[in-house]
Amino acid sequence: MGADPHGRFVDVYERAYEPILGYVLRRCRDPEDAADVVAETFTVAWRRIDELPEGDEARLWLYGVARRVLANHRRGELRREQRTEALREHLASLPALTHTRSPEEDFSPVGRVFRSLPDGDRELLSLVAWERLDTRQLATALGISRNAVRIRLYRARRRFARALATAGVDHPHAAMLEGSSL
Amino acid sequence: MNLTNLARLRDEDLAGQASTAPARALMESIVSEERAPAGRRLRVAPARRTRRALALGGVAVGLGVAVAIGVGLPGGPATRYANAAVSVERATDYFSVTVTDPAADPGRFEEAFRAVGLDVTVKRIPVPPDEVGRLVGPVVPEGFRGPGSIGVQGVEPCAGAFCAKVWLPARYSGRVVFGIGRAAAPGEPYADDVVDPSSAEALDGYRSHGRTVAEVRDELRRRKLKVGYRLWWTLPNGSFFDQRVTADRIEDGWVVEGSRHSSFDTVDLYVVPGPEAGRAPNPMTVYEAEPHWYDQTD
Repeated sequence: MGADPHGRFVDVYERAYEPILGYVLRRCRDPEDAADVVAETFTVAWRRIDELPEGDEARLWLYGVARRVLANHRRGELRREQRTEALREHLASLPALTHTRSPEEDFSPVGRVFRSLPDGDRELLSLVAWERLDTRQLATALGISRNAVRIRLYRARRRFARALATAGVDHPHAAMLEGSSL
Repeated sequence: MNLTNLARLRDEDLAGQASTAPARALMESIVSEERAPAGRRLRVAPARRTRRALALGGVAVGLGVAVAIGVGLPGGPATRYANAAVSVERATDYFSVTVTDPAADPGRFEEAFRAVGLDVTVKRIPVPPDEVGRLVGPVVPEGFRGPGSIGVQGVEPCAGAFCAKVWLPARYSGRVVFGIGRAAAPGEPYADDVVDPSSAEALDGYRSHGRTVAEVRDELRRRKLKVGYRLWWTLPNGSFFDQRVTADRIEDGWVVEGSRHSSFDTVDLYVVPGPEAGRAPNPMTVYEAEPHWYDQTD
């Protein structure tokens, strides 16, 4: 409270840009689309800077915005913006992406099973494994209670384990979430 | 093999990206855009609250006794105030609120908020059983005008029925309303509240998201539940709002985004409008057309 909107936004942008970019790149087939999703996410943050929570909560809030912007993007509602042209080119040439698969291109057995999960399960498990969120952070990012997070996580992992078993994937630790106690 | 390996990259691979020229250019471009004036808040909340068992906490004081601490100036607001219903403490840039008796007279809550410089109205509102005691709001019905920000966020661990951080400028001159959740009577509609139905599922063991209206309605009938409908509009800027509509506005083949109990025996379906629904209405018109708990007289 009290900081000027411009200074506040710059601070949030500098802290959250990389995790939000990572969140989007991990879920977008095309790095060029990612530029537009990132731009739209931070534009929403700028317009709603008065509602942005303090500290690291801002990052969690932005995950929620990015999730909805991505959903719109998948419905084909994202605009190609002129101002993201340079960023699109930059992301397309990122060395970190040069030799990696997009989630849709991962044809490993576990990748296939993971993609077959319901959207909600996949997103929940991704937020734990990729964004490394704990229960409290998941609750904030998803706008639900911790108890609901625990229940959904339990069910998602159970469905994932069953799907792996059905697919004949013999990796008892395939559903393991690295670096997470969840 | 684990799930982490399915990610195409890790955040660490992106170290330094925030300071690249394209990233800086994007930031400059965004802040050069004029921000929309802070109008009435639509259905947006920083976080939903967590369920909490009732526990008698250390901040509870004797019935009818109130304690004010740290009066800064003669006649000025206290930095902390506690009575049998609630304790409110002013921190650097927010207020810490601990609800100890959600069933108390709303006047006791107003008394505590007023003591720390917040002139607010508190109403008891019907909520589902797992949300009893939750602090809802702050709502500024006439539209929040800065500077500063408003919001509430649940805090754990909590030595009371509900703990939260509240952001609200002290001595804000506009009308500000909080709700305190009480258990709804059987069949009584729950107070309209912020919700993101993209993650809401009302039915145990059944996922409504992505199914057609006809499918979900059949399931509700099977469970002997009534159905209500809300159109779920998404705007190009990523914001969203819902519109309560009658059944004749809904097509069986439209897709359900989420579901939520609107009372003990009724489930509202949040339905993504099909192309035949036409353009999204003006969200403010929709907002003003619906009754809201904070406008109703007790």
